[in-house]
Amino acid sequence: MPIHDPGYRTWQGPVAPLATRWMVIAEVGIRRAWLSSWLRRMMFFAWLPACVMGFMVLLYEQTSANDPSAGRTMLGLSRMLIDPRSAASSSFTDVRTALERRDQSPESERHLFWSALLTTLFRRSQPFILIPMLGIIVPPLISQDFRSRAFLLYFSRPITRLHYILGKAACVMFFLASVTLAPALLLFAAAVLLSPSLSVLASTWDLSLRIVAASLTIMIPCTCLSLMLSSLASESRYASFAWFAIWIFGELAWTTASRSAAVGSNVVISCLSLFRVFSDVTAWILDPRLVMDDIQTRLVLLAALSAVSLAVLFRRVSAPMQI
Amino acid sequence: MSPLIELVGITKDYGAFRALSDVHLQILPGCTGLLGPNGAGKSTLIKVLLGLVHCTAGHGHVLGIPLGTHATAIRSQVGYMPEDDCYIHGLSGIETMQLAARLTGMQSTEAIRRSHEILDFCGAGQERYRSVETYSTGMRQKLRFAMAIVHDPALLILDEPTSGLDPEERVAMLNRIRILTRDFGKTVLLCTHILPDVQSVCSRVVILAAGQVRISDSLEQLSRLPSPALFVHFAGSAERFHAALRQYNLASHISGPQQMQIAGTAEDHSNLIWQAAAVSDCTIRGLVPSRNSLEQIFLDAVGQVQHAHS
Repeated sequence: MPIHDPGYRTWQGPVAPLATRWMVIAEVGIRRAWLSSWLRRMMFFAWLPACVMGFMVLLYEQTSANDPSAGRTMLGLSRMLIDPRSAASSSFTDVRTALERRDQSPESERHLFWSALLTTLFRRSQPFILIPMLGIIVPPLISQDFRSRAFLLYFSRPITRLHYILGKAACVMFFLASVTLAPALLLFAAAVLLSPSLSVLASTWDLSLRIVAASLTIMIPCTCLSLMLSSLASESRYASFAWFAIWIFGELAWTTASRSAAVGSNVVISCLSLFRVFSDVTAWILDPRLVMDDIQTRLVLLAALSAVSLAVLFRRVSAPMQI
Repeated sequence: MSPLIELVGITKDYGAFRALSDVHLQILPGCTGLLGPNGAGKSTLIKVLLGLVHCTAGHGHVLGIPLGTHATAIRSQVGYMPEDDCYIHGLSGIETMQLAARLTGMQSTEAIRRSHEILDFCGAGQERYRSVETYSTGMRQKLRFAMAIVHDPALLILDEPTSGLDPEERVAMLNRIRILTRDFGKTVLLCTHILPDVQSVCSRVVILAAGQVRISDSLEQLSRLPSPALFVHFAGSAERFHAALRQYNLASHISGPQQMQIAGTAEDHSNLIWQAAAVSDCTIRGLVPSRNSLEQIFLDAVGQVQHAHS
């Protein structure tokens, strides 16, 4: 019992605007997810590639073009990050080209080098973190609310379905941004600060916008898809299974189909794997020189995926109220 | 007194099923019991009041706010305690309270302060720091009640607030409802199957059956019998007492062991009853005006509907 029990007291005080209520849901979601030690470990590993790339930028900007040991180190690190035989091998070629020609045309080669690093970050390292990360944090977000009937607690308050979905989406986007947008932007900022002069911004400013665009291209469809899966099951492990199945079976389908057809010429086969679609689209956004056939098809696929997921999500969230 | 809730011709269909049918209802300030058998439409009515579902036909207002278009405005002034066991996984009691407070617009620090204040009022101790999943049924009920009142709403909708509580906790819960109604002017809509709870705290009652309002009146009015009668509790032979009453031309019937119901008022017949008791060698232990029990009122209202359907 309390030392001094004043009983019930009326309350009058400032009330936050309705439009900000989703932030409360997002904040609670982030705090709950952060309790997972797996998530914290993943976050640590998610930042390692950006740190390695930051070191490469340091070498690139602070060493002489004629320094052979610096060039060797950077190529070695590039080889570690990018498999030269993989579909992303163009980034490796770009890094090598940029290193070879950096004393001839430093401005254009700098842009090439930075964009190659960013493309590598988005295509090679971050997807392997964000897929398992979302597989851990997103499935319980809505499915647990269904199971514990927490939607009654939410929707008996002055919030709408939009606030609820916005809050959950903001929670997912926060973690997605922490492994895509934040490391990429910080890498860009570090590169600018490590370069000889801030005037490099004049030739590289577009990269910051490209980073934001590439991040949003990943964040929006991933958020919508993962939340929709979470809303489809009251057991979060089913949603988790479906999430991983989409990526794994998509990739397997792509691998199988690509053996019997020329992948580059068949956009339908490329669209079998969501992983390939994201990889192609982010590469197209980050590398201004890259010309990709049928990029519109991939963009439409991602837009349709987001729209359908959102529509299902809204329907599922309102379903418990209709009983 | 102007009604806080006014519904006019509210109808709600779920596909082919009609959950509410032409509901006309006025809820006045004070505590009102909402009764009805399972499937009567109580939950649907609550959802309509909270703006969680849109009604198929009809209109109305809650606390002066029109139904339908201003659901969030209504919910900011209404506290709802759901019947179902609902909680947010992974949060402690105080965190759940804080979330409930912040969702109604309270600032973070104020939400913590207010949450502690309300949990103290609800008699929650240190268990507020434990995860909600570990709570007993009673503690969960307390938490849901606390969440309903954390933002100091003008109208409280309580769905089965005493179910699953031990007798001591039940009395405490009813006391809290009484305090809120009597001392703080809250309007309470108490939805329950426990009729003594309604008799204990409510001044009015609404009985819903088959999606229609069967009865909406004050308990005082409802408990009056169509013709006056007296209820006698006595000790002695029921047969002899009954025969003696007949000698004095008093219509009576045995309503239970050592209980008798006699037509008429105390002013007219009390002397004759005492004389009949003396003649039949019985001792009168209680003589009060006979009243309809809420149980009887409820059964009559529900029975009418069942009879009509059959």
